[in-house]
Amino acid sequence: MTDELVISGLQVSIGEKKILNGLDLTVRQGEVHALMGPNGSGKTSLAYALMGHPDYLVDAGTLTWRGQNLLDGPTRLGMSPDKRARMGLFLAFQYPSAIPGVTVASFLRNIYNAVHHPKAADESGETSIKYTGIPLAKFRKLMEEKMTLLRMDPAFATRYVNEGFSGGEKKRLEMLQMAVLSPAMAILDETDSGLDIDALKNVADGINATLSPEMGVLMITHYQRMLNYVKPQFVHVLLDGRIVMSGGEELSHQLEANGYDWVREQVGLPEGVGDEASAPEPVAQH
Amino acid sequence: MTTTATAMTLDSTAIGRISDQLDEPNWLRDLRTGWWERAETAPPPTGQEEEWRRTPLDALPRGGELLLDAPEMEATVPPPGVILTDLATAVREHPDLVRRFLGIADGPASHAHFWALGQAAWTGGLFCYVPRNVTVDGTLVVRTVLPRADVTYLPVTLIVAEEGSSVTLLEEVVSPDGPAGWFGGIVEVRAERGARVRYANLQQLGDGAWNIGAQRVVVGQDANVTTLNAEVGSKVTKVGMDVKMIGAGGTSKVLGLLAAGDDQQIDINTVQDLAADHTTSDLLYLSALYDRAHASFYGVTNVRHGTRQTSSYQECRNLLLSPQAGAEPIPVLEIEANDILRCGHGATAGAIDPTMLFYAQTRGLDRDAAERMIVRGFFEQVVAQIADETIRERILTALADRIGSTEDVS
Repeated sequence: MTDELVISGLQVSIGEKKILNGLDLTVRQGEVHALMGPNGSGKTSLAYALMGHPDYLVDAGTLTWRGQNLLDGPTRLGMSPDKRARMGLFLAFQYPSAIPGVTVASFLRNIYNAVHHPKAADESGETSIKYTGIPLAKFRKLMEEKMTLLRMDPAFATRYVNEGFSGGEKKRLEMLQMAVLSPAMAILDETDSGLDIDALKNVADGINATLSPEMGVLMITHYQRMLNYVKPQFVHVLLDGRIVMSGGEELSHQLEANGYDWVREQVGLPEGVGDEASAPEPVAQH
Repeated sequence: MTTTATAMTLDSTAIGRISDQLDEPNWLRDLRTGWWERAETAPPPTGQEEEWRRTPLDALPRGGELLLDAPEMEATVPPPGVILTDLATAVREHPDLVRRFLGIADGPASHAHFWALGQAAWTGGLFCYVPRNVTVDGTLVVRTVLPRADVTYLPVTLIVAEEGSSVTLLEEVVSPDGPAGWFGGIVEVRAERGARVRYANLQQLGDGAWNIGAQRVVVGQDANVTTLNAEVGSKVTKVGMDVKMIGAGGTSKVLGLLAAGDDQQIDINTVQDLAADHTTSDLLYLSALYDRAHASFYGVTNVRHGTRQTSSYQECRNLLLSPQAGAEPIPVLEIEANDILRCGHGATAGAIDPTMLFYAQTRGLDRDAAERMIVRGFFEQVVAQIADETIRERILTALADRIGSTEDVS
């Protein structure tokens, strides 16, 4: 079976600093996994490494998706982020970037075509070539359908991507992009962070509405509360750059009750010196 | 209008021969002679001037042949009462009107020599006249195509919007790639009391062209003027612009879009002259710079002594799309008045935020496509202010040659 994301012995560093230290995880399509860990444990680093962020270098280990080696590519970084996206991987960012001057509608249509009509996207720089992506009317219908599904105000479509968006609006736009692209494997990085309870419920409904039996999900979160709304089949605990404990949904409740120090005791790790340190997560700058 | 091969070198005998060729009236001969003398007494820039430090003129092709016959010009047919024609025809058909407005004022101080030279030696150009209280619907479009690259051509564009009138005009100039040539376009926009003018200038000169332009914009009482200069072509561009807010309650928007690559040098200097009460002048220039292109911007806001409640802003933003590209935005505020509403500036130059690029790439856009989208979005800050659809489309099409196109849904 090749419709799975296989992470094996993954070591990742940023600059001189080692962030992931031998991480093993397999997520199959149709499965929902939650990856929990304190700040600085390497959660976002894993998400970035999976998508090929240029600052996150894989020092050792393997990354394969649907049997293809993601580390095999034109540069030391392996396959480019855009190629990974065209193969069905999707990352919902913890801190999505604003793209001033580009409307949500224009952005969605461009990314839809890039993923689902990649040839047309490659040629779009040539003004002489007629655009061959999804017809405008058909795209509009798709977008409106997904916006209705996520209960989003149609006015959203004419705003510039993430510019002046509240935290909740940014997360909802991530979900809208996921719904429009319908990826085979979605990595959701702290999609619950910065949301009040209503916004959290709203976003979680969006995730549930978008999930399909064919989709794999890796949900990265600091807190258990998100998992009340989106139920994982598997829960993993990330500490010091490795997965140190795995279980079913009940593990998230044990974590909520006992904290990460309890995990350290259970698995015999030293006191969490790294738990407080923040991972170097780039924040969108304007 | 047809183009002949007739040409001459720009020297002191040229002025008389231009007048002979065009069979001009005496007032115009005298006007040209007067401006020629001015050109001789106002020497060319030495490179020591603040506005000229970044654009040396050593290689300006001064020896090229002067294009004596105005090149091909396509123009919209204007509504009755409105004049839109080449300047020589306007001199023949509307001499009294042209005489009232042509060559009556100085241009930007930085370009005094070139302004005088153009007023003396113009062989083509445009005359647009909108009478009092006339509103021109739609967009007037004038397109000039130079026949050759290696010529000297100094046209004068004169746009006069009388009291209470309204007009939107796009002027395009195109020349072939090739050896060095000199294009010295002079533009004067006069918006009388309460007039509304939208003027766009789209420059698509060939890769050997030296574009030494000078523009004077006069905004009268309660008048409202938006200018847009889109610099796409040329080897070297050095445009000086003087926006004079002379009547109370006047408003101006001074917009610019630059897309440059290869070894292009684009250098703009502006003066926003707030000389009357309750005037507003906002400037926004955006550059996307590829390869080894370099853009300079030297903008002066001058709030005159004794004026009250003026509002002004100048912003120059540069996107560097190659490590070899460069930009130098220099804003200067000269505030002589005490009672001002606002006077500010902003200047930036930098590469695309790599976080933004990564974000777009994770959505399936390859690096080039992501970059094109981000640049197009960057330009939107100005493009969104172009209300006229014809102008917006022509300018986006011209820019697409450099930045590429992304289809647009909204």
